[in-house]
Amino acid sequence: MSPELVIALLAAAVQAGTPILFATLGEIISEKAGVLNLGVEGVMALSAFAAFITCHLTGSAWLGLLAGGMAGTLLCGLHSLVCQVFLGNQVVSGLALTLFGVGLATFLGTPYVGQSTEGFAKIALPLLSDLPVLGPIFFRHDVLVYLCYASPVAVWFLLNRTSLGLGLRAAGEMPAAAAAAGLKPQRLRAFGVMAGGFLCGLGGAYLSLAHTHLWTTGLSGGRGWVAVALVIFAFWRPGRAVIGAFLFGSVMAFQLRLQATGTNVPSSLLLMLPYALTVIVLVFSAARARRSGAPAALGVNIEPED
Amino acid sequence: MNGHEGSERLTSATPRTDIGVADVLPMVRLCGVSKRFVQVLANDRISLSFMPGRIKALLGENGAGKSTLMAMLAGRFKPDAGHMEVAGQPVDFASPREAIAAGIGMVYQHFMLVENMTVAENVLLGQEGGIMLNPTAMRRRVAELAERFGLGIDARARVGDLSMGERQRVEILKLLHRESKILIFDEPTAVLTPVEAESLFAALRAMSAQGKSIVFISHKLEEVLSVADEIAILRRGRIEGEFLASEVESPAELARRMVGRDVVLEIEREAVAPGRLVLDVKHLSGGGLDDVSFDLRRGEILAIVGVAGNGQQQLVEVVCGLEKPRGGQVDILGQDWVNFFQSRAWKGALAWIPEDRAGLATCRGLNLTDNLLLTTRQGFAHGQWLERSRASETAQGLVREHNVQPGNIEAQAWQLSGGNLQKFVLARELYREPRLVVAEQPTQGLDVAATEAVWRRLLEVRKTAGLLLVTGDLAEALQLADRVAVMFRGRIMNQFPVSDAAQVERIGSLMAGLKD
Repeated sequence: MSPELVIALLAAAVQAGTPILFATLGEIISEKAGVLNLGVEGVMALSAFAAFITCHLTGSAWLGLLAGGMAGTLLCGLHSLVCQVFLGNQVVSGLALTLFGVGLATFLGTPYVGQSTEGFAKIALPLLSDLPVLGPIFFRHDVLVYLCYASPVAVWFLLNRTSLGLGLRAAGEMPAAAAAAGLKPQRLRAFGVMAGGFLCGLGGAYLSLAHTHLWTTGLSGGRGWVAVALVIFAFWRPGRAVIGAFLFGSVMAFQLRLQATGTNVPSSLLLMLPYALTVIVLVFSAARARRSGAPAALGVNIEPED
Repeated sequence: MNGHEGSERLTSATPRTDIGVADVLPMVRLCGVSKRFVQVLANDRISLSFMPGRIKALLGENGAGKSTLMAMLAGRFKPDAGHMEVAGQPVDFASPREAIAAGIGMVYQHFMLVENMTVAENVLLGQEGGIMLNPTAMRRRVAELAERFGLGIDARARVGDLSMGERQRVEILKLLHRESKILIFDEPTAVLTPVEAESLFAALRAMSAQGKSIVFISHKLEEVLSVADEIAILRRGRIEGEFLASEVESPAELARRMVGRDVVLEIEREAVAPGRLVLDVKHLSGGGLDDVSFDLRRGEILAIVGVAGNGQQQLVEVVCGLEKPRGGQVDILGQDWVNFFQSRAWKGALAWIPEDRAGLATCRGLNLTDNLLLTTRQGFAHGQWLERSRASETAQGLVREHNVQPGNIEAQAWQLSGGNLQKFVLARELYREPRLVVAEQPTQGLDVAATEAVWRRLLEVRKTAGLLLVTGDLAEALQLADRVAVMFRGRIMNQFPVSDAAQVERIGSLMAGLKD
């Protein structure tokens, strides 16, 4: 492969990794607060549509992005309501959220299939984009990719350097200790789930506003599930999430290029690649992870005192 | 031990209540506080003063009402009668939060710590002050606090990597950081090694020297005597007496008062002629036991008495087949331990009435038929099939015969009161027609009527079985038993018939480990 091709491939990997990274970081916040959210796939699908339709109707990509984030926040608010208030099972509620989100997006989006929207244009950053090799790979993208570069740092800072983050982690590790310290673990969890939902929503919005610029059914394409798996691969750390997301982005970009070259390998096998990688990565991280950093009270609802 | 000239000196023979120090305002004061649960008066007009700079020990057996008293101080329950004062002002806590705000801090037996966080993060959780965290400053603050009170600990360590003693220090640091004025410790040495306990005591003294009021809840005589300034004895929900540690004449007196001999109930008992040997323990040692020997015949009740935690639990676990005897010989119904538990028959052998009737003896979420089947299922088995209808009929019969309320066998175990659950457990175990019965604290927490019902059954058991009665209630032992064995630190100090009045008088001394 020529160097130009490799550079183009890596640039495509960055783009493919962006929505996955947003969703992974969102899920990390939620799980750090102790709430397992298996609804990421549905959240991404519905927020992709919310972003698309808002941008399509108003012509404003920024409004579309906001709509995507808000759709994610609201949908995860529903998950929080079910688990926090009605003490529903987090796994079941999350699965329902996926079915609901994907179904609703498909239903509402059917009249718009194939229609395009302006979305975000690519902006080459001055100076940085002129760097050899690095410039074309990292600095000739749309603004969401740049936002995505900042987000792992922001999430790390939130979790490790703010008292809100400390409380959030306490709510995910041992809600009783948080309550004994005078915090309100239920509220902290609700915040974590909804803040995570906002990030997942941004990931969904990226798909329709920057990745494809048009609406099709099945736009989320399993990325939400990959994000859920990547949280485990990342040991719940934002830094490792970056590695995981862009690893997957590379494989996705690679299999697309490979298909385009007209190889003999059946396309369905190529399409499988990212998900096969998911399985492999999970097996390895499960084998390696003794002290993986999984929050101790992950998936366990806070029972009210009697 | 200075500064209480104002308090009149009284000997232990005339217990006073509510020791105070003249001219000093108590940190916290309980004024005639009572709390009743459905059938049991858990706290009965308790008056206590907790003074700054003093360590007060609350001494009492399990079920004496210590936990209820603590829960009221911590704001989890409200007293039914009486009131509490903090620094002279009456308080009425609506929630634990208010109690914390009033300066009352609790160190529970089960730590409230986040294992995946550092010491500093745990101490400052909820009171970091400000939106941003500064890990270096947090570490410094916690390290300074630890140094001031002599609680050496690495503020950067992850709590999950710490020993129990170190975790306890983290709990203490949490309270100190909140500037709690009174620190209440619930059996703090239960999870500690002896060395860790020593350093805890040093820390308690350091904190009290800096003006904190320390409350130390325990049932261990020695440690109470070594650390406390004042000792209050709680028994059956009442303050049995309060002393300065310096004026305690003998640990024996303390032990006797804690276990008590007040007769709440008398019962007629006729002697039953002893039959053949059902339990023969010879030189049983290891696992906290030290050369324990005794025997038990059909028709006899042998009471094992002593302050809790002196090996009674280990002895019961060996006799009931949970732990293998490490040294010595245990013969049950004429078979050695291994053979007996290999061929354990459900009927006509051994029955056990554990202390923890809601946890060990029954499953709270199962109905009475299923709870009956827990230990008797072989009797209702037909190959792989259970005859449930016959089990239900049997359960119904037992419930009626033993007057278990409510009489509905569909009721789940948790829906029964303690007394009724105990009657049911007893009914089930006696249905097995045992020849050896082990009963642990069979009437703990029961009201007088239920206690009497249980006692009657236990006396009846003698006709067909020998009964090993493990109890912390001396009155119960003297009412029911033919012989008494006193345990201290895993040893049997002495055993004698209850008719031996001279020995019975000395039970208190024996429980405190004094031979003469």
